[in-house]
Formats: sequence, structure tokens, C-alpha cells
Amino acid sequence: MSASTLILLSYVLLAIFAVFFVLKSLKMARMPVHVRWELAPVPHEKGRGHYGGSYLEDAEWWTKPREKDHVAEATYMFKEILFLKALFEHKRSLWWFSFPFHFGMYLLIGAVVLLALGALGSVTGLVGTDMWLFATGYPLLAGVGYALGLLGAVGLFLTRMVEKGMANSTTYATYFNVLLLGSLFGTGLWASFSVSDFSGQTLGFIGALFTADMSVELAGILKAHFLLAFAFLAYLPFTQMMHFVAKYFTYHEIRWDDEPVEPGGKMEKEILELLGQSPTWAGPHVRADGKKTWVDIATDTGAQEAEK
Amino acid sequence: MSDKVRVKDIGKKELPMLSEVRPEELIPLPPPYDKVEDLPGFKEITDEKKERVVCNLDGVIASAMPHPESPEEEQKYVDMFVDGLKKLLSKENNWTFLQPLTLSLEYCIGCQTCADACHVFEATGGKEIYRPTYRSEVWRRLVNKYVKPGGKLIAPLKGADIDLNWTTITRLYELTYRCNLCRRCAQVCPVGVDNGLIAHELRKLFSQELGWAPTELHDKGTELQLEVGSSTGMNSVVVKDNIEFIDEDMTDETGIETETPFDKEDADVLLIHNAGEMLAWPENPGAFAIILNAAGIDWTLSSEEVGYDGVNYGLFYDDVQLARIAIKHSQAAQKLNAKRVVMGECGHQHKAMVTIADRVLVGDLAVKRESFLPLLEEIVFSGKIEFDPSKNDFPVTLHDPCNIVRNLGIVEPQRRILRYLCPQFREMTPHGVDNYCCGGGSGFAIMSGNNYEDWRNNVSGRVKFKQIIDAFQDQPGPEVKKYLCAPCSNCKGQIRDLLNYYGALDKSGITYGGLVELIVNAMVDVKEPFIKWEMF
Repeated sequence: MSASTLILLSYVLLAIFAVFFVLKSLKMARMPVHVRWELAPVPHEKGRGHYGGSYLEDAEWWTKPREKDHVAEATYMFKEILFLKALFEHKRSLWWFSFPFHFGMYLLIGAVVLLALGALGSVTGLVGTDMWLFATGYPLLAGVGYALGLLGAVGLFLTRMVEKGMANSTTYATYFNVLLLGSLFGTGLWASFSVSDFSGQTLGFIGALFTADMSVELAGILKAHFLLAFAFLAYLPFTQMMHFVAKYFTYHEIRWDDEPVEPGGKMEKEILELLGQSPTWAGPHVRADGKKTWVDIATDTGAQEAEK
Repeated sequence: MSDKVRVKDIGKKELPMLSEVRPEELIPLPPPYDKVEDLPGFKEITDEKKERVVCNLDGVIASAMPHPESPEEEQKYVDMFVDGLKKLLSKENNWTFLQPLTLSLEYCIGCQTCADACHVFEATGGKEIYRPTYRSEVWRRLVNKYVKPGGKLIAPLKGADIDLNWTTITRLYELTYRCNLCRRCAQVCPVGVDNGLIAHELRKLFSQELGWAPTELHDKGTELQLEVGSSTGMNSVVVKDNIEFIDEDMTDETGIETETPFDKEDADVLLIHNAGEMLAWPENPGAFAIILNAAGIDWTLSSEEVGYDGVNYGLFYDDVQLARIAIKHSQAAQKLNAKRVVMGECGHQHKAMVTIADRVLVGDLAVKRESFLPLLEEIVFSGKIEFDPSKNDFPVTLHDPCNIVRNLGIVEPQRRILRYLCPQFREMTPHGVDNYCCGGGSGFAIMSGNNYEDWRNNVSGRVKFKQIIDAFQDQPGPEVKKYLCAPCSNCKGQIRDLLNYYGALDKSGITYGGLVELIVNAMVDVKEPFIKWEMF
């Protein structure tokens, strides 16, 4: 594949990623308010989060000030995101592979940031690519990231195959996802060892993406690696691998959403609008006709029918 | 029968049963409960019965579904099921749970962390159909194949093919009643996926679209409550009579003049009991009356239809019924102009009314609502009542009702009371928000038809029973009387059945009851022991 084809393809794949990543994320964020479904422990409960307590432990809680511990909540998320705390505590056998898999990705995200900064610096002439950070720091970070990610991917693939429960629920698509990421890590690791000017060539390629320079030189393995990387990104929004975005909502907007309705507030208005919709459930006791609203249905206890 | 059950096997008509529960395969219990042969086995479902009702999942029947009369009728229900799948994922039909459900549909990574947290899965030594993700994965594949565009083409390519037929939907229906909805699995999920919620939403689909729900929850539950005022069948006249009898009994037993106020306007507290307490455990509403009167609380019960029964089984299977009952509770409080509604010792009532209904009872329907536990804590430590903790000097442990503790985060008030009033209080392991369900959660405690009670006692309640026995391991014999405090009506029902089934009063000296009974037992003014050790 020529460099120009790769660059044009990269633009397309990155555009797909950007558009659908935003759309998918917005879809999650714009769902209607739901009924309360909190689950202890809620870490922002000041002085009680550590044992799972909530403001509902206070008599006449509505008369008491509600104090939230945002530091405790942030600390909880930091440990969960960075170290996969829940998996460590509840499924250690999987953590040994899942942690390097995810931590490898975090290192690679860091490496990509360095790569983008180095390429931008080089294109604008503000910094040289021979700086230690770009010449040594970036490939070192990427190499460790690739190695950890590959170790994790191999371990997760095998675990899914042999562990009874996981094997039963793992579809071909999930195996494909792990293989795809494993290939991405594998080609990256191979390139970082086999391409003598790994740092210079990758910085040059990203710089070419910024400037649309179709004459850039790139080793074959790096072409394969970048193609896999951008293809993965374009594919990502359509998969369960978007769970890292979903997780924000499952934690903050479901498990930890213990916000009571304020009379006259924004949430109450939204709920009143939702209650004005007309459900079409067909169960005979629901007595929906496509016109009755939730309010009509919820206040219809069957007394009228009984009278008839 | 092999337990190598695959997700797609759920639709296989040629399998008479998908799996089977065998008592000898369940995790062992501690002595003297470790001999399987000493226990009554499962009631046998006769062939004649199987010819009349569907029994195709695990040999257990929660809801006796008659067989369809024709292939057309089968297809009608299958088509309705697909409609229901779509409605579950639509805003106008399911705004109440759309975001949690959609995220649980799309983003489970199949790590199986949830399985180790599930007491049903654990009790059976890991039976595949009870794995929390099994029913979720069935549902996920059905949605992906039958609801999403191009699903029928893509499903086989993804290795996620599944057949949808009468067998699939009837097995799935039964399977939704093999989960207590305790949400212990959701608590440990790294992604925040909620398999308990999925079981709940599937129950809703069957009820709200197909009109299928266990009789105990629907016909004899929410429908009866909305019709006569209580799922016990009691109307307001009967309730008032019963409370009057209870007051008289309490006066005789304690020597304290006991009177329960009804329909007092502008009271500080409208107390709503689970009406089942009045029939099964009358000492519980009696103890409440003694405590509230002794503390000088301005309180009342309501005789308004539904207002005297805090039960809301809609929480377990049907949003429409949930909302109808919650609105009735709110209207009862508004009619009396009560300053606050206090939930009695009933866990699901807490969850239905305090949190779930918070986003249903909006506008004119909003009333202040809270648990009885903080109020009791205030009373016990207020100095208004004199206590003698030595009167409770026997081993006491605490069961944490999931709906009060894990779901509402009310953990410490009950513990502070027990630490103060019960010198031999000890925790179960694990406890608090990490507790195990009693096995009767989400309506199971009132479901006993066919051989379902055997399943409850052997499977869903097994881990809890083991916990109870373990909590008293320092004094295991029956010569030392022990008290299991379970401040929840449904939990008490299940624990009563468990203790009876295993003969735990005779073998281990364990009885059970609520929290208010322990408080009254420790009152100096109550001369005779309030707790009876033969209360089964």
C-alpha cells in the first residue's frame, strides 16, 4: 500500500471514529432521566461512603444539609480506572491479564499524546524530534505499552476459551475484538523492535497526517500497524469496547445517582414531560390505548371497570 | 442430564428440561444440617401436572403456565414477546429504566465477576442456568437478532444465534423467577452492568405485554391490593379490628396501655406497615405502638384503602402496578396531611416508596418519606425510654434486608441500636452492603406453589441459612436460645420457612423476629419477656 493511500484511508477511518464516537457518547448522555436505582456504596456520601451509608440514615433527611465528598468519589474512580479495583477485589484470576491489557492501553494513549506533540512540534519547527522525550521516552512508553497489552490480550483470549462461564457467553465477535487488539499490540511491538528508526518514522507519519504530505516513507510493518490502529478506532464505537464511556454513566448516573427530586426543579419538569407520554403496553391490566398517558394509566386503578 | 448448557440451548424444544436441581449437588451446609437424606426432598411434579402446565426449565415451577391450545396461540405469544422486547427499549414505554437497561444490554464484557457474587449460583455449585449472565445473554442475543436491524443476518456471523419460540419464552419467563433481584452481582461488576435489573425488566415485559405474572404477585398481590386495599385481602374495617385486638394483647402482655391511633389528621408521622405483619407477626405492629407512644411521638395509621398496607409488589414485576400503589400511599398521607410517611419493617416498601417513587410522585403527589430506622435510633438514644440491655443478653445477629441496606444505604442506625441494646450482638459474614439476600427477595417469600418453596429453601435461601448457622458457631446447640433480627417482612417470611424447613429452633435454638421486638424486650417498663422463643 502506498503512503498516499494509507494517509487517505487514515483520514476516512479517523473521521468515522470521531463521528460515531461522539454520536454514541451523546446517545448515552441524552437518555431520559430514569427512576432512582442507586446501589451502595455511594462514595460521595460524606463520612458514610466507606461503609455504604447514605443520607437516608438521617431522620427527616430533607431538613439536613447534604454534604458530598467529591474527593472520595474521584479517588474511587481513579483507583477503578487506573488499577481496575473491582476486578482486583472480586475476580483476581482475570485481573492478572485484564490489568496489563488496560494499563498497556493507557501507556499507549500516553505514547500517542507524545507522538502527536512531537509530530506537531516537528511540523511547526518548534521542537526537534531528537529531544529525549520523543526520541527515547516515546518509543520506550510505546514499547512497554505494546508488551503489556499483548500479554493481556493473549491471557484474556485463552481465559475466555477455557473458563466455563466466559466460554459460554463469549461470541465470535468478542474473540475477534481481543484478536484485533492483540494484533495491534503485536505489530506495534514488532515494529518497535524491528524498525531501526521507529521513533523518526512514526513521528514523520503523524506529521504527514497533519500536513497531508503524501510522500512520507514508512516501513511495511508500521504501515500494517497504523492501518490496524485506525481500523480499530473506526470499529470501536460499534462495539462493547465502548464500555469505558458507558462506565461513566453506569457509575455516576445510575449507581451513584441518589439525587432527590426538587419540587419545581429541572428534573421534576423532565419527569412530568415523560409522564405525559402514551405507552402502548398490551397487558390487559395496563389498560393502555395508545392515547392514555402514564399519568392516566397510573391513576386508573380499575375502579371504573369494577363499577361497570 | 449434562450441565454443559449453552446459551442457545434455551430454545431447544427437544430437551424436556434445560437443567435440573439435585439436592446432593448443592453446596454443603454445616452440621447438623449436612445430611441430605435427613431433609425432605423436592416435591415431585407429576406427569399429569406437567401435561397441564409448563415445566421445562429446571423441574421447578414458579408460575404455573398452562400449555397453549394451538400452534397459533404459541406464535401469538412469541410475537407479543418481540413487541415487548422493542417496548422495553423505547422511551415512551420504558423511560423509567431505559438508560440503565440499554447500558446493561450493550456493554457487558462477559467477565463473569458477577457469578461469584450470586448466592443462587453459589448455592448450586455453579449451575449454568443460574449464572447471572445466562438469562442476560439470552435476552441480549434475542434483542440483537430480533430487534436490531439486520440482526437475523448478523447473529450467526457473530456466533450469537438463538431461536425464538414458545420454549424459549416460557423458559426465560421461569428463569426471571430464579433471581432475587438483590443486585449483589451489580455491586461487583467492573462496568456497572446490572443483571438483576435485566431480570426485573424481563419480568416487566412478560407482565406488561403478555399479561404473565405469578398469581401471588399479581392476582393475589397488586390487583387484590388495589381492589380491596391490601394484598392480605383485609379491608379497612378488618385492619382496624385486628389492630384493636393487637392493642389489647399488647396491653395484657406488657402491662402498658397500648392504643394505636387511626386517621389522626396533621400527625407528625404516618406509619405504614406491611399489612402481613398484622396477621403473621402481630407483635411487630404492637411493639411499634408501644415504642412510639412511650416516646411521645405524634403518629397515626391510616385506614384509607391501600394506605394501611405498605406492600408494593409492583416493584418486583410491573411499573404500572408499582406507580398505582405508590400513588395510593401518597394520597393516603395527603388526606391526613401527615408531615412525613414512615415505612415500617418492610424492605421492598422502603425501596418502592423512598427511592423508586421519588421520580414518580412528583408535583402534587410529593410527600416526605423515610425509613423507620432513623426514627427508632432517635427514640432509643433520646433518653425518653429507659432500657435495660441485660434483658437482651442472648446471642443476636442481624440480617441486612437488601432493599434497605444495599439499595438505600441505611446501614448503621440498626447496628447502633443493636450494639447498645444487645450485649451479645454479632455480625454475619459478610454483612452490611455486602450481605447475602435471604433468598425470599423480589416476591419469592410469598411464592410457594408446586415445588417452588422447596427450591427457595434449598437453593435461594441456602447461603443465607449457612450464614445464620455460622454466626452462632460459638454456641451451636439448642440449649442457648438465639435471635436472628430481620427487620423486613418478606425476609422474615423466608427466614421463618428456612428455620422451619431445617428445624433450626430444635437443632440450634434459633428463632427470629424484627428489631422493634428487641427494643420492647429491653424496655424497663415491660416486666415480662416480650420475645417468645416458640414464635413459629
